[in-house]
Amino acid sequence: MKKVILIKYGELTTKKDNINLFIKTLKQNITQKLFNKNVDIIHDKGRMFIESSTEDYTEIISLLQEVFGIHEIILAFKLATVDLEEIKTHVLELINDKNFATFKVVTKRSNKNINLTSVEISSLIGAYILKNKSSCQVDVHNPELTLNLEIRNNESYVYFTKVAGLGGYPVGTLGKGILMLSGGIDSPVAGYMAIKRGVKIEAIYFESPPHTSIEAKNKVIALAKILAKYNNDIKLHVINFTEIQEAIYKNIPHNYLITIMRRMMYRISAIIAHNNNAKILVNGESIGQVASQTLTSMKAINEVIKIPVIRPVACFDKLEIIDVAKKIGTYETSILPYEDCCTIFVPEHPVINPESHLCSEYEKLIPYEDMIYKAIKNHEVIKITNTVENNFEDLL
Amino acid sequence: MIYLDYSATTPVSYDVLETYIKTSKDFIGNPNSLHSLGVKSKTLMNSAIKQISDLFNVLDSELTFTSGATESNNMALVGVALANIKKGNHIITSKLEHPSIYKICEYLETLGFEISYVDNDSDGLIDFEDLKRKIRPTTILVSIVAVNSELGIRQPLKMIRQIIKKENPNTYFHSDMTQALGKIPVSFHDVDLASCSAHKIYGPKGIGLFYKNSRINLVPLIHGSSKEQSLRPGTPALPLIVSMAKAIRLSLNDIDRREAFISRLNDKIVKELETYPGILINKTKYSIPHILNISFENIKSETFIHAMEAYEIYLGTNTACASGDLSSSVLAVYKDKKRASSTIRISLSYLTTTDEINKFLSCFKIVYNRLNALVQK
Repeated sequence: MKKVILIKYGELTTKKDNINLFIKTLKQNITQKLFNKNVDIIHDKGRMFIESSTEDYTEIISLLQEVFGIHEIILAFKLATVDLEEIKTHVLELINDKNFATFKVVTKRSNKNINLTSVEISSLIGAYILKNKSSCQVDVHNPELTLNLEIRNNESYVYFTKVAGLGGYPVGTLGKGILMLSGGIDSPVAGYMAIKRGVKIEAIYFESPPHTSIEAKNKVIALAKILAKYNNDIKLHVINFTEIQEAIYKNIPHNYLITIMRRMMYRISAIIAHNNNAKILVNGESIGQVASQTLTSMKAINEVIKIPVIRPVACFDKLEIIDVAKKIGTYETSILPYEDCCTIFVPEHPVINPESHLCSEYEKLIPYEDMIYKAIKNHEVIKITNTVENNFEDLL
Repeated sequence: MIYLDYSATTPVSYDVLETYIKTSKDFIGNPNSLHSLGVKSKTLMNSAIKQISDLFNVLDSELTFTSGATESNNMALVGVALANIKKGNHIITSKLEHPSIYKICEYLETLGFEISYVDNDSDGLIDFEDLKRKIRPTTILVSIVAVNSELGIRQPLKMIRQIIKKENPNTYFHSDMTQALGKIPVSFHDVDLASCSAHKIYGPKGIGLFYKNSRINLVPLIHGSSKEQSLRPGTPALPLIVSMAKAIRLSLNDIDRREAFISRLNDKIVKELETYPGILINKTKYSIPHILNISFENIKSETFIHAMEAYEIYLGTNTACASGDLSSSVLAVYKDKKRASSTIRISLSYLTTTDEINKFLSCFKIVYNRLNALVQK
């Protein structure tokens, strides 16, 4: 009898034709997640099985809880038999040290060579337990112990508890997106939600030294690192935005600063997306939260690019966003107080309903195309992995 | 040279010293500065803090660096006392503490606090019944040393904590863990506040650690910070902090194997010294093997220590901080003034070798016989 992990797929089972791609990607993602755990991973259409020679699964289970595309994670006992008599003995052995007053048996049988239905097998096993374990009875509605039995073609599995997985789709199955990562609370949450739906994220960050500090950049790197947990690893594009931002500040009426700045960021992000074969932009805009996120502003900003912009938290309240941020562990980092691109050069009265034609007029005042070209040409790419590294290994 | 006074202080480990030098040379920025050098220093400092908080499974914000365990003890006792003056004025400690605890208590008495000293049994274990009796509704703090510095007696902190919290859930529990850290496994979760020191674990002198559970508010001893609510304002001593983080990590390596080795050395010494008629071994079943205390019947401990120095063998009297007085710990355990009047402490390390112990024992014999003959005349 061996301990193994049994994985039930999430929504994948509804993807008829693409199911193989989904399962293959999930397997790759799990392999990458468990790269140093020395495990065997095998799969079929309905389940994935993970075997570790040490049979210690505590850490493995918590790592699997960071992988999208998993519905349930189950620690199961693998029996190398499909013979009901042998299964009975093993089952009894497994429940021997368990204390329970009521129980039920739930059977799944993909092995169609057995001439009994699942329900019949359950009652057979249940009867055997009743006979051999004193003072317990069956309760199918509210049992203290649920014994799950899965009989497959060559082996069977018994388990008692399951842990919920994250759900969603395996990262990468839906292609790539560029996440506009600012360092605030909303954008990491938006990124997380896109990852959840199978989008592999690359992030883009706009820095404006000396107006923004290294600490602000380190904060974004720290956030990207948290997202990398779910995204396998993450590529962070850092754009030096100083020249553009200063030009905007000098030449454009201040109530339009933010609108024009956002338009520039959108243009750059769209080009980065194109160059990296990403199909969408993702950002943390939430309707009405700030002046640049009114519907009129969104329209005036969005119209400068053609690729779709997905705003996963557009209809979330701030508190709802904070809840997710706390759950995924980005909140504490997000609230660190460093200046970012959007909080400097903030005009006193930003326009709430910007007019598109005015934006175009004002933009003619600066040679922004050249500046954008330069910023993209010189941009820095940081590859962030989720492996815990100690930068000061020689010192500590 | 044979150094057998490791409980007074330890030689700094080469690896830790390397860290100290490298950090001093390569990280010149003040961690509080805004520029990149400051950020670089701060990142290193945060990594060092994180390393320690991970090792003890506590929050980063629950750790404060001090100048040493004596300062940490002050921070705990004075800090809790001043912050809880409205809740009560009663503090309990044991008779087996480091002298700094007694001095702090004397000071607190001048401020109107009342101090009780809990009894211990003949093995040095805290008397639980007496502790229960002494805890009052106004008891704000109990401070019990994790490992006594003279006899090496180890207290069951977890159990003591349970007793305290059952009698009065509002009473905080502090432990001076200076002699325990690096020698036996310690857990900050057994206490509310703890004091530690780097120089007892092959780290540099001049730095200590203070643990405070995040629920507890203290009045800081030193004022001068605008930053957050730091308990210990001032420019962080980065090279010392990083060195301490390293020293702690190294000291927890192999802790069991080292203890087993030291235990064998301890047994060897005890077996031989037991045969001397004029020597009493001050060891109970709760003593850790790293610390071995003995009493002379006729020889003055100071004389003996100086005589051994001639052979380049270095031993300790009570604790280095209180040389010259009666050993308060021996007195507390054995209730015998004469026994407490002439004690020496042999403290061992994983660096100690069997050869060193052999040489120590043979020199011991020579010195003992010579001095003993003098007093017999």
